[in-house]
Amino acid sequence: MSKQIITLTVNGHPHEIAIETHHTLLDVLRNELGMTGTKRGCTAGSCGVCTVNGDAGEAICSCLSLAIEWDGRSVTTIEGVQEGSELHPIQAAFLEYGAVQCGFCTPGLIMTTKSLLDFNTSPSEEEINETLAGAICRCTGHIKVKKAVRKAAEMLREREAG
Amino acid sequence: MHLPRFEYIRAKNLADGLALLAEHGADAKVMSGGSDLLINMKFRLDTPKVLISLNGVEELQTISVRADGRLQIGAGCRLTELVANPIISERFPILHDAMFSVGSRHIRNIATLGGNLCLETRCWYTNQSENWRMTREGCFKTDLEACHVIKTANRCHAINSSDTAPALMVLDASVIVARHDGQREVALIDFYHDDGVDHTVIKPDELLTAVLIPGSSRRTIFAKLAQRVGLDFAVGTFAASVSGSNDAPDSVCLVLNSVSAAPKVLAESEKILTESGLSDEAIEAAAIAARKALGEVTNLFTPSGFKRRLVKTLIRDALHELREQAS
Repeated sequence: MSKQIITLTVNGHPHEIAIETHHTLLDVLRNELGMTGTKRGCTAGSCGVCTVNGDAGEAICSCLSLAIEWDGRSVTTIEGVQEGSELHPIQAAFLEYGAVQCGFCTPGLIMTTKSLLDFNTSPSEEEINETLAGAICRCTGHIKVKKAVRKAAEMLREREAG
Repeated sequence: MHLPRFEYIRAKNLADGLALLAEHGADAKVMSGGSDLLINMKFRLDTPKVLISLNGVEELQTISVRADGRLQIGAGCRLTELVANPIISERFPILHDAMFSVGSRHIRNIATLGGNLCLETRCWYTNQSENWRMTREGCFKTDLEACHVIKTANRCHAINSSDTAPALMVLDASVIVARHDGQREVALIDFYHDDGVDHTVIKPDELLTAVLIPGSSRRTIFAKLAQRVGLDFAVGTFAASVSGSNDAPDSVCLVLNSVSAAPKVLAESEKILTESGLSDEAIEAAAIAARKALGEVTNLFTPSGFKRRLVKTLIRDALHELREQAS
């Protein structure tokens, strides 16, 4: 089956990529673009480790989306979170609170957190829980992650207030 | 797991999609979100030659109020968008709750209402990777007249895990099923077959295009039990609606799902509550009747005996909560 060309904007940079129709967005990010920050986990939508943010900043599992459906659209991956040479507040907060054990789920957790805090810097406990439910830490738990999310929200609120 | 190869065709509009279905029929699968279909394809439970994408079909993504007053929701509307819809939250809170309980936010961002209603049935033995399945013989779902869960079964007992189906059924909703040369309306209560292999009335050249919900003043409740509430498929899903007072209801609708291949209307329990009202005793009797009406239950996720007890508790607690709503 012949390859098809799609235009995919990743972290603001447009790419023309030759893909096969059965490739998922995750396959293309990792194998075609070499952006291995987005991890490959269960490949069945249960673990959220492959989370990227779509056109509207929404969190999606890149393992469950066909790359060809992304022609002309844009995604944000973990590689696009850092702000110049500075860490994004979410990354800084994850570091500060040690919300990282082995680190494998961290990109997914950060993208998941970003999909929440980009729209709401004062999320309720329930909203944090509901959002994080889709991204699972395999090592330990979500206690430190939640602390980091609250800290990141606080940092973003401070930034908004100037 | 990687996807098998297929030919991808993107439908330009609804007529185009239906024409493609008429042409490719049994060789094709339609996809909107893909959160169920793509996993089954990775498992090689589905290996369509042609995949028809409906993501460019605007007709399937609209919400409107029809001339007859019913709310019409396009089958391709994403769950996240519907969960945030104020008309649905106000008029049909049970549908809001049911949609909100589906998967995780990541899943709801791509999953659609039509997809949830047409969700393939699932089974612990079959919904596994191909390698895993190869360690034992096939079953009704694959290539053999056999069931590994209920050995004496003469049909597939894979479970219908749709959360929105029971909620919409107690609202007396219907769906529009279209094909290239016309469409028909099917009451959701008649939409499912109690057979895991062929579990809906939809034929290979047909497509569920919209859900129709009549206006309702019924009080409703939705309850779901799952191992991880924010993510997993349910172990039991229960929806109930009541019109009239608690003591002398005009009518009661009770539907249970995630225990069989089709959502189960609990007729005996409905009768008990309609006759006796929502008293403590009647609720207990209705929950026991529901447990008795379960029939053969698979051991998906939990042992079947535990599941029977769990269903009784789920129903009893939900009905108590429904009763409190009025006061």
